[in-house]
Amino acid sequence: MSGTAKLDDMLIALGGGGKTAFVRTHFGISAFGVNAFAADEGENLVSEHDELGERAGKHEELYFVSSGNATFTVNGDEIDAPAGTFVFVRDPAAKRSAVARETGTAVVIVGGKPGEAFTPSAWERNAPALAYFGSKEYDKALEAFEQLLAETPDDASVLYNLACAESLTGKRREAIDHLKRSLEVDASFGELAAEDSDFDPIRNDPDFASAVAGKSDAGGTSS
Amino acid sequence: MSEKAYEVAHIEDLDRFPVDDEGLLWRPVRRRLGIAAFGTNAYTAERGDERVIEEHSEEDGHEELYFVASGHATFTLGDEEIDAPAGTFVYAEPGTKRGAVAVEPETTVLAMGAKPGVPHEISGWENIFVSFGHLRNGNEEQGREAMNAALAEKPDAWQGHYNAACFESLTMDREAAFAHLKRAVELDEKAREYAHGDKDFDWLRDDPEFPA
Repeated sequence: MSGTAKLDDMLIALGGGGKTAFVRTHFGISAFGVNAFAADEGENLVSEHDELGERAGKHEELYFVSSGNATFTVNGDEIDAPAGTFVFVRDPAAKRSAVARETGTAVVIVGGKPGEAFTPSAWERNAPALAYFGSKEYDKALEAFEQLLAETPDDASVLYNLACAESLTGKRREAIDHLKRSLEVDASFGELAAEDSDFDPIRNDPDFASAVAGKSDAGGTSS
Repeated sequence: MSEKAYEVAHIEDLDRFPVDDEGLLWRPVRRRLGIAAFGTNAYTAERGDERVIEEHSEEDGHEELYFVASGHATFTLGDEEIDAPAGTFVYAEPGTKRGAVAVEPETTVLAMGAKPGVPHEISGWENIFVSFGHLRNGNEEQGREAMNAALAEKPDAWQGHYNAACFESLTMDREAAFAHLKRAVELDEKAREYAHGDKDFDWLRDDPEFPA
């Protein structure tokens, strides 16, 4: 729906320093990606990433520093970026990151893939729900991932995160079922599950051990 | 367009192309940086009492998000009036009437947009806007180069020849103006109708060669 919002009012802490504004989902935009990050002096403003990974969108990304001052690093080049600077990263393979040089630094990020209709990245679809893990609101995380699962029933990362939330809220059976399903879609989550403290409450369950071990082996032989 | 991994520009360094006589400046961002996946432009009102976003409705289906990058504006969104200092987002669905007026000097608004469900297409007419922008800035030669680029991109589109005719009329080249206008009318009779109401041709309207 058409509407308005102030960037400062949209920023939420996801844990791990810095704040995020989910601009695209806030307004229900579907034609391009848009989010914002804010950080204080010395904090990470944009975590290092490229746009090639499983959870990335292979997007072109336009960063606009809307306030403060940042230093970007793209493919090892340092870029001084005071408020008003555009940094456009065309190459999805380019490693990019930014650090805030002043308190109250904010950057608006717009993204999309040339020649294709826009689809949101897995990172963005999961991120608002993941925020509840940071604030230890596991019931809310559970609800958010159940909703995401209804939208994308075969998304391995949604299944995995739902399993985490179920483990942390005492839903042992559901957690193991969803973890198994996530491993069927993407066996690489097995390694993560073996180390993930979210599964501590169910780690001693024999079904957990067999799910993780079984699927890890399957992943090993098939790759 | 270079194919570097990345491009950097400061908002102060973007071109300033007047889009009308009222002080609204178009600051091309997509074009400057070579963005292909979505549309992005900035608009600046220098004085602080003029329009910064023209009133329109995006009837062609583009979703548009505006961000007040500096200064202070008052947006109209449908029937609502919105106070929009720097740092405000305004999102307008396709078909919603929107516009903005600056309330501070050097107010700049970023506009980002694309059409849902389809790959982004770059407007074929961007060179025409650039051409008239240069002309309004007094750079006739650069304007003509951009107009020629627009014509080369779509040599058989009436709109290109029509705009070239306007350009030549505004630069007082009667022969060139009539040559393009004639071609535009050959390609589409609509051009004749448009030419009658277009003040760009005022000084030529009574000329016997003007298409009746």
